[in-house]
Amino acid sequence: MKKLLKIVETIRPTFDEGGKLGLFKPVFEALENFLFSPSTTTLTAPHVRDPLDVKRVMSMVIISLVPSILAAVYFFGLRFFVMVIVTYAAGLSVEAIFAIVRKESINEGFFVTGFLFPLIMPPNVPLWMVALGVMFGVFIGKELFGGSGRNVFNPALVGRCFLGLAYPAKMSASWLSAGSGMTGRIFEYASASSVDAVSSATPLALAKQGEFVSLSHMFLGSVSGSAGETSAIAIIIGGVFLLFTRVANWRTVASTLGAFIVLTAALFAGGAVNYGRLGMLDAVLWHLFAGGLLFGAFFMATDPVTSPTTNAGKWLYGIVIGSVTVLIRNFTGYVEGVTFAILLGNIVAPILDEIVFAVRLRRLRSEG
Amino acid sequence: MKNSRIHTFSTPIEGSLATLTGKYQGLILVGMSRAVSCQRCLSIYFNHNAKDFWDFGSRMKFKGGYNILLKGRPDIQVKVMPEPDELYLPLRSRRFVFSEISVKDGDRVNSGDILAKDPDNHHVPLLAPRAGVVRLKKDKDQIVLEDIAQLEEHADIDEEELSHIEHEMGAAGIKRYRLLTLGAWQFFYDAYTGVLPDPLGTPQAIIISTMNLEPYLARGDAQLQKRLLNFTRGLEQLQSLLEYQPIYLVLPKIESEFADLVRNHIRGYAWVKVMSIPLTYPYDHFGIIARKLGLGHDKGPVWGVRTEGVLATDRALTWTKPCTVRIISIAGTKINSPCHIKVMPGYPIKKIKEQFVFEPAPRLINGGILTGEIIGEETLGLDTECKGITVLPELRDREFLGFARPGWGRSCFAGCYLSALRKKFFERFNTGVRGEGRPCISCNFCEDICPAGITPHLIHKYLYRDLVEEAEQAGTGLCVECGLCSYVCPSKIDLRQQLIDAKKLIEKEKEEIRKEQLRQEEVAKKAAEEKNE
Repeated sequence: MKKLLKIVETIRPTFDEGGKLGLFKPVFEALENFLFSPSTTTLTAPHVRDPLDVKRVMSMVIISLVPSILAAVYFFGLRFFVMVIVTYAAGLSVEAIFAIVRKESINEGFFVTGFLFPLIMPPNVPLWMVALGVMFGVFIGKELFGGSGRNVFNPALVGRCFLGLAYPAKMSASWLSAGSGMTGRIFEYASASSVDAVSSATPLALAKQGEFVSLSHMFLGSVSGSAGETSAIAIIIGGVFLLFTRVANWRTVASTLGAFIVLTAALFAGGAVNYGRLGMLDAVLWHLFAGGLLFGAFFMATDPVTSPTTNAGKWLYGIVIGSVTVLIRNFTGYVEGVTFAILLGNIVAPILDEIVFAVRLRRLRSEG
Repeated sequence: MKNSRIHTFSTPIEGSLATLTGKYQGLILVGMSRAVSCQRCLSIYFNHNAKDFWDFGSRMKFKGGYNILLKGRPDIQVKVMPEPDELYLPLRSRRFVFSEISVKDGDRVNSGDILAKDPDNHHVPLLAPRAGVVRLKKDKDQIVLEDIAQLEEHADIDEEELSHIEHEMGAAGIKRYRLLTLGAWQFFYDAYTGVLPDPLGTPQAIIISTMNLEPYLARGDAQLQKRLLNFTRGLEQLQSLLEYQPIYLVLPKIESEFADLVRNHIRGYAWVKVMSIPLTYPYDHFGIIARKLGLGHDKGPVWGVRTEGVLATDRALTWTKPCTVRIISIAGTKINSPCHIKVMPGYPIKKIKEQFVFEPAPRLINGGILTGEIIGEETLGLDTECKGITVLPELRDREFLGFARPGWGRSCFAGCYLSALRKKFFERFNTGVRGEGRPCISCNFCEDICPAGITPHLIHKYLYRDLVEEAEQAGTGLCVECGLCSYVCPSKIDLRQQLIDAKKLIEKEKEEIRKEQLRQEEVAKKAAEEKNE
C-alpha cells in the first residue's frame, strides 16, 4: 500500500491549483481520501476526535441496504446491477460537475442516493429513465440548494416523483412479477424484451380492485413492486441494523410506523375503509408490508438532512408522514402515497423545527 | 403533607447529632442554627425527602455528557519532581496577563515574593515559588529565576495596606486580602463565566468540586491524599468568609473507600451541602452545577473552587503561607507511567519531558485533552494555572481504506464500528481529525452530547448565515466550552471554536449597545439641562 501512497503523492501536484489538471482537483481529492484516510490534524482544542466521519456514516447506510439489494437481485434479476451502475454514472457526473464549478470536494451523500434510487424504481424501467431521474433528483433536489447537507428534499425521492409525474404510463408498465423458486431471477436479465418478463400490477393496485395478495408473500417480498421495496423482512433486518448504529433515528421510524398503524386501525374500526376479507390485524400488517412504507420509514424518512433535527420534531414529522400515507392510499386516486408523504414531510420539517426551537428557547430563557 | 415535610427535616438532624464527635460539636451547632435561620436554606431542606437529605446531587437530572475512553489516564501516585536550577515563569496564562512587573533585573527575591501583578484581574499576583535572582532581559514573556534555593517561605504582605483594609472592611477583609496576596485567590472561578471573581464581592453560593473529569487532568483524590484534614480545615476557612450563603461540596457518585472517607470527614459539617454526581464529563463544570442548583446568573455571582483551591485557602489563612507548589497531572497516550507530579509554576518543561515523554515529537498540551492549549516551543516553563500536561502523539500514518475498516479498536459515540459489540475498552488517540470537513448533516449528535442543553449545529447554521441575534437567542451564552460537540461531529466542524467566537462577538455587541445607550442618555440629559436653562 505504501507504493500506492507514493504514486498518489507523486501525481498530486498535477491536480493542485495551477497544475495541468487543476480543474479536476475535487475528483482527485475524493479518490485520494477514499483510498487513504485524510492526513489533517486538529489545530485547537479538542485535540482528539471521534473516529466517525461522513464516509463511515454513508457506508453504514449502504451496509444496511445490502439485504434489500440482495432481495432485489433475487426477485428481479441481474438487471438491478445495471440500474445501479447507470445511476452512479449519471448522478456522479452531475455531482462532479458541481464540485468542480463550486471548487468544493465531492460529497459522500450521493453514494447512498446511488443505491436508494434504483431500489425505489420499478425493476423494468428503461435505463434512460433511470439516468434522467437521478440527474433530475441530484440537480433539482440537491445541488440547486447548495449540495449535500443543505438540501430540503430527499434527492432520490425527487427523482422518483419526477419520473412518476412525467412518465406515468411507462412507469406503470415497468412492474415485473417477482421471481420464485431456489434461484429466483438471479441468473436472469429481465427486460422489456425478454420473454419471462411479465408486467404485473403491484399488490396495492390489486387491492384497489378488492384483490389481496397473501400476507406471507408480502412479508418475504415475492410480489410485484419497486426493486427494493417488496421484501419486508430484508428491509427490517437492514433498518434495525441502521437504528443500532444510531445513523437513523429510531424516533422517526417509530412515529411513522406508529402513526400509520394507529390511523389504519382507527379507520378500519370506524368502518371508513373496507379491506374485503381481511381482519383488523391482517389489514394493518398487510398495509404495513405493502408498497414502499417500510423502506420509506427506515431509509428515506430517516435521512438526517431532510428530516427535522430535534427529537420532538422527529416525532411530529413521523406522524405527518405516517398519516399522510394512509390518507393518500385510501382516499385518493393514487395507489401508493409514501413518496408524496415523505416529500411533504420534508417541506414541513423546517417548520416543525422552528416550533420546537421556539418552545425550547422559551424554556431556556426561563431557566436563565 | 406539611407534617411529613417537617418530619423529614428533623430526622436527619437527629441522625447527625448521634454521629457527633467532640471536636466539631460546637461548629455543627453553629452551622445548624445558621441553616435554620436562613429562609432559603429551609426551603431547600424541605424540598428533599429523608433518604437523600444529605445529597443534593441525587435529585439532579443531567443531560448529555460523554466519557471518551482514552488510554493513558494518570494513576493516583504523586511524584515529587527534583528541584530545578532555573524557573521560567510565563507572564501569561489562560485567564491572567501579569503585565505589572514589580521586580527589577538582578533582584534577589524570596519565595513568596510578588514578582508581578495582573491589573485587569483584581491585581492577582505572580509569586516567586523559590528564592532566587530575577532575570528579565532574556525574554519579555517570562520572568526567569536563577540560582534557585529552597529557603523559608515568606508572606509578601503589605502591612500598611493590610491595616487600611482592616479599617475599611474588618476581619473578613483581611482574610480576603490574604487569599489574594498569598496566591490562593487564583484558584477561584466565577461559576458561569470562568473568570476570576471579585475577592471583595459576596457570592450567593460557593460550589466546591473535588473532581476534574476532563480526561488527563489531575484527579481530586490524588490531590486530596494525605491532606484530608487540611481540606476540612480549608472548608471551615471558606465558610468563615461567608455570612449565611450555602457551600455545596461536589463528590463523585461512586462507592470507594476514599470517597467514604471524605464523606465521613465532612459528615459533621451541617453547613456543607453534599452533592454526589455521576462521573461523566463535564458534569463537574461549575456552570452546569450552578444551573442545576437553580442559582440564577442574575441573582449574583457563584464561586467555584476545586480541591486545590480549598487546600490553598487552608494554607493561606491557617498558616499565612504562600501557595506555590501544586499537584498536576502528567498523562497522555505516549507517556512513561502517567501519574501526578508535585511542581511549582515555572518548572522547566524540558525537565518534565526528559523524565516522562518517550515519543520523539509529540504534541504537548497545557490542560486537558478537550479544552487544553498547545504548548509552543517558545514556552519554557509551566504557567501558574496549569492543571495538567497532556502528551499526545501526532498523526503520522494514513490508513488504506480507513473508513471501511471494521474498527474493532475504535471507540465511537454512535455504534458505527465493530467495537460496539465489545465491552468497554480504552483507545490510544492521536491528533488526527479522522475525516474530511463536510457541511453539517444534522445528525444531531452534538445536541445529544451537549451538557448545557443547547443545539450547537443550529447555532453553527445561524452563524454561517451571520444571524448573530438568532444565535444568541438559541442559547450560545449557555455553552460551557467543554468541546464535546467538536469531538463528536462526523462532519468535523469545529463547533467549540465557533461557539467561543460567537460568545465573544455577542459580548462585544452587547458592550457596544450599552455604550450607545449611555451616550444617548447623556445627550438627552444635556438637552434637558439646556432646556431648563
